[in-house]
Amino acid sequence: MADTRQDFSAQLRELIGKVAQGDRQAFATLYDATAPQLFGVALRIIRRREVAEEVLQESFVAVWQRAADYALARGAPLTWLTTIVRNRAIDQLRRDGSRAVDRSVSEETLLGLAAGDAYRSDRGAELGALQRCLGELEAQPRRAVLLAYLYGLTHEELAAQLGAPMGTIKSWVRRSVERLKRCLEE
Amino acid sequence: MRYDDPELRELLAAEYLLGTMPWRARRRFEGLMEGDPTLALLVSEWAERFSAIDRATPPEEPPARVWRAIETRIAPHSVTAGPVTASIERLRAALRFWRGLAVAASAVAAALILYLVSVLAPIAPQPPRVIAVLADQNGEPSWIATAGPHTGEIAVAALHPLQGGGDRSFELWRIAGGTPHPLGLLQPLPDEPTVLTAKELPAPGDVLAVSLEPRGGSPTGLPTGPVVSQGKVIRAL
Repeated sequence: MADTRQDFSAQLRELIGKVAQGDRQAFATLYDATAPQLFGVALRIIRRREVAEEVLQESFVAVWQRAADYALARGAPLTWLTTIVRNRAIDQLRRDGSRAVDRSVSEETLLGLAAGDAYRSDRGAELGALQRCLGELEAQPRRAVLLAYLYGLTHEELAAQLGAPMGTIKSWVRRSVERLKRCLEE
Repeated sequence: MRYDDPELRELLAAEYLLGTMPWRARRRFEGLMEGDPTLALLVSEWAERFSAIDRATPPEEPPARVWRAIETRIAPHSVTAGPVTASIERLRAALRFWRGLAVAASAVAAALILYLVSVLAPIAPQPPRVIAVLADQNGEPSWIATAGPHTGEIAVAALHPLQGGGDRSFELWRIAGGTPHPLGLLQPLPDEPTVLTAKELPAPGDVLAVSLEPRGGSPTGLPTGPVVSQGKVIRAL
């Protein structure tokens, strides 16, 4: 099943091309194919369902309007779609102001992720690469990067969550970014 | 700020994607990207690097009202509705195939998520430390062994309800040096863990395996039925 992700990507690419030409049916098909995964991402970051629904809605409207831009973007189509959702979700978090990050909710979310029985995924070598490279970071920098990616936390929120000064957090993120890039290039 | 410094550009792109920038910095960076397409490319590269985490995030069906709201917003620009074109039908069939795939995590995606749990767990008051994940022949995780509930204990639980078929029991084994040692019967429901105590604890390098046995377990002290699930012990208590 090594090709399955590539086949899925090719199909999404074709759909996005049609959406760029104003094809409503292609857009509806694209939504059917990707909305659940993207909603999962929005919920992970936003947590409040009604707000996550709005973010999903805004994101797909943006996809409709900017489908032509995808041709210029490199990378997998699902990543392009996810980034649109991610950026909107993070902007929504910023608009809502700093949240007190509830540790127990974080753990609940993670346990939900671990024990959930409704994943869709393809087998791919790249999944292992990220995990391997995260493993090569030191513990606290790794946590900082993961909390940021999972929940869209600012430096300030990370400092509160991890009990470290802002300067340390920024330094952890910078070092982790450098090391992840090098490791993933291997 | 020297925005032509490659290391700075890379860091800004990563921080934008990660979300660590506050509001104003995000807007400023988006302004930079408008005039500088290679910055946008750096961002998409970071998105690609982390995309595994989003692929491993469980999907959730959004309510119908979301699609209705989207349709209302884009209606003025729509192509006149007509019969479904052949190419769309082909794409829909292919995508139905993906969605119809048996929904269970691949071992790799589940491993990533459990890894995230174990990495972030020390932040939480009662961290679930993962000792092993047992997967079936398709690589689908069926059981998880975690430290606890008390010190010196390991709990083994189903990740989702399992069928043994007929009148059979799931039995857990510790395989060390090639020899299976019985550890007891498992319940096929996630909220009924089996707790192992000090005498029986597996060590890193051991393999934990589950076999299907006659009701009550193997009568011989060794597995008599098929091994349905197994995994390596990845850390010590």
